[in-house]
Amino acid sequence: MVISAKYLAGRAALALAAVVVAPPASAIDPARLQAAEQTPNDWLTYHGGYKSHHYSALDQINASNVKNLAVAWIHMPGRSTRGLQSMPLAADGVLYYSGSYSRVYALDGATGKPIWSYFPELDEELVAMQTHSPYNRGVALGDGKLFVGTVDGRLIALDMKTGKPAWDTKLVDSKKLTVGFTGAPLVVKDTVIIGSQGGEWTSRGPIFGVDVKTGNKKWEFFTVAGTEEAKATWGNESWRTGGGGGWMPGGYDPETNTVWWGTANPAPLYDWSGADWQKSGPRPGTNLYTTSVIALDPDTGKLKFHHQELPHDAWDFDSAVGEFLMIDRDGRKLVVHPNKGGFIFVYDRANAKVQNVWRIAKNINFVKDIDPKTGELIGRRDLSLGAASSPLCPAIAGGVSWNSGSYSPKTGLWYKIAQEWCQDIEVVKTTPITEPMSQLNIGANFKLVAPPDGPARGHLDARDPVTGEKKWEVTFSEPPLASVLATGGNLVFVPDARGVLRAYNAETGQELWSHNNGVGHNGGIISYSAGGKQYIAVPAGWGGMVADEFPALFGEPYKSMPKDAGALVVFTLKQQ
Amino acid sequence: MEKAAGRGSRPAAAVLMRIAKSVILVAGIALSSPVCVHAQQSQAPNQDQAASPSDVDGETMFATSCGFCHQSGGRAPGKGPKLAGTTHSDDFIAERIRKGKPGAMPAFGRAFSESQVMAIVAYIRTLEE
Repeated sequence: MVISAKYLAGRAALALAAVVVAPPASAIDPARLQAAEQTPNDWLTYHGGYKSHHYSALDQINASNVKNLAVAWIHMPGRSTRGLQSMPLAADGVLYYSGSYSRVYALDGATGKPIWSYFPELDEELVAMQTHSPYNRGVALGDGKLFVGTVDGRLIALDMKTGKPAWDTKLVDSKKLTVGFTGAPLVVKDTVIIGSQGGEWTSRGPIFGVDVKTGNKKWEFFTVAGTEEAKATWGNESWRTGGGGGWMPGGYDPETNTVWWGTANPAPLYDWSGADWQKSGPRPGTNLYTTSVIALDPDTGKLKFHHQELPHDAWDFDSAVGEFLMIDRDGRKLVVHPNKGGFIFVYDRANAKVQNVWRIAKNINFVKDIDPKTGELIGRRDLSLGAASSPLCPAIAGGVSWNSGSYSPKTGLWYKIAQEWCQDIEVVKTTPITEPMSQLNIGANFKLVAPPDGPARGHLDARDPVTGEKKWEVTFSEPPLASVLATGGNLVFVPDARGVLRAYNAETGQELWSHNNGVGHNGGIISYSAGGKQYIAVPAGWGGMVADEFPALFGEPYKSMPKDAGALVVFTLKQQ
Repeated sequence: MEKAAGRGSRPAAAVLMRIAKSVILVAGIALSSPVCVHAQQSQAPNQDQAASPSDVDGETMFATSCGFCHQSGGRAPGKGPKLAGTTHSDDFIAERIRKGKPGAMPAFGRAFSESQVMAIVAYIRTLEE
């Protein structure tokens, strides 16, 4: 048992004391954030810790007793337009999470009783004009504050104890650029980092570093042509409308003081120049630093090194998705990162040199392969103007999406959802629209279709993260869009698209338990401890961009599934 | 290199007819309406482009910003409904483009000029069921 008897006694004493006075919480300082993976009673960052394992070492809930898992409490945030896409956080028995419109709640982790809530006032006229809006994917903790981004381009800091705003900084001119923030921020020492949306629009996709205390912007890194050398990779000054962005939080390596972040695709998403993309078309060149993993100095925002996963990405396969899983293997320090096209890249943590590349999606034809030693694209499929003669695989929804996998140090396996679908596509010449406000610049008409090997579907893979060797696989008739969670209790939790939360044996993939939460899942999942009990917290709520493809592709239950419902459902073991 | 193939493609003449129809419709509306506000389309300098600032090509606008949700150029349901063969009136469609649908479709009324809105409506009308 990870929770020791001594600890339990201490918590019981604290719980009694809590009737009279609030339990003391130690500050979420850099040391505590760096040690997050060793303190499983909490879940302190979006990815569970800087190493992005998305793993809970807690084992009070385990493969032998998970059949007794039951709902402890539910919280409804309200106004769940486009569902509930957030990853909750937990610290010292308090659960923090965000809903659509960046509503933030602090709840008692054991009972769900609200402690405080904060609803920022958004520019709702602007929100009505946005496509990738008004959902929010999560918050960050540090310096006694909670940080949350907004779709109207702001980063807000709230006092962690009271929910009162400490500062509210406008970072992006969203009225003009249309984009804002949907991703969770990441706190690194005294800087809070957040990346804007961007790939589908006509700007330059900045990532910001903001002072945790004052809210002053410290630095800004343009994912589109953020350095002079990078500008040369955009012909005809196309960097001015390049797209880019870094819309999900990355990871941090304290040993080298390096932040790892994933960048989004360039715009237009599809290119009519075919094989002549180096010299002609809307954005000739490799288009740095789109569809790349970049390493930044968290204090200055300066680029340390990078690897562009897809040079001249012509398929909308962002590197902005997913986690930067940091593991050690045979004395090598590595970073494992999924690319939206369905390939998994394994990097040397010191310099992002490619160590291996393996594929998790089965239906891929946008390249023949990617060289596992160098990362070079082999046999890239560049489309030219007009209808493609055969479907493009994977579809725009990706071979993987932005939901995170989970790595168990116990099994050595990485549990990750992959997606199988393709698309008919007709490439069209388009022109960036920047006035009066930035518009989507897609460059094609497309339609999602089943892949050649069977129906459109998803699968949960249990894989060696470095070699890609598969241990087991579970097929889902529709791809789960939520993150998954492996635990020390030998369990893997998967919140599926139909609304059912399932628990599998982490070693074998045998389904051990399930519970219907009533609406599809499209967010995170965590585990934490409060009052000596282990909890599993999962937001249910449907209606994101990929989810919107499901009614046409799969019919029911998605045709009837509401897109404005949301609930945070929290489970614990039934009292015996 | 992927060549533009014959599968599902319309003969060039038909494509030209469609574009001509859009332009004629738009010209007709522009002539008949007292106020004609053009939102500017600004391009990156020296960029290879198909449309010029004065062009209001509904089909191109659709592929730029509408095709993301209205699949297959509006011919198939996807994130948004199928538009080909719609029984909604021009007024309904134009208002939907301007006002959007909360939680489902953005409002383009402040971003697109009336000419652009009507060009998109005209394009939708050319779509075969």
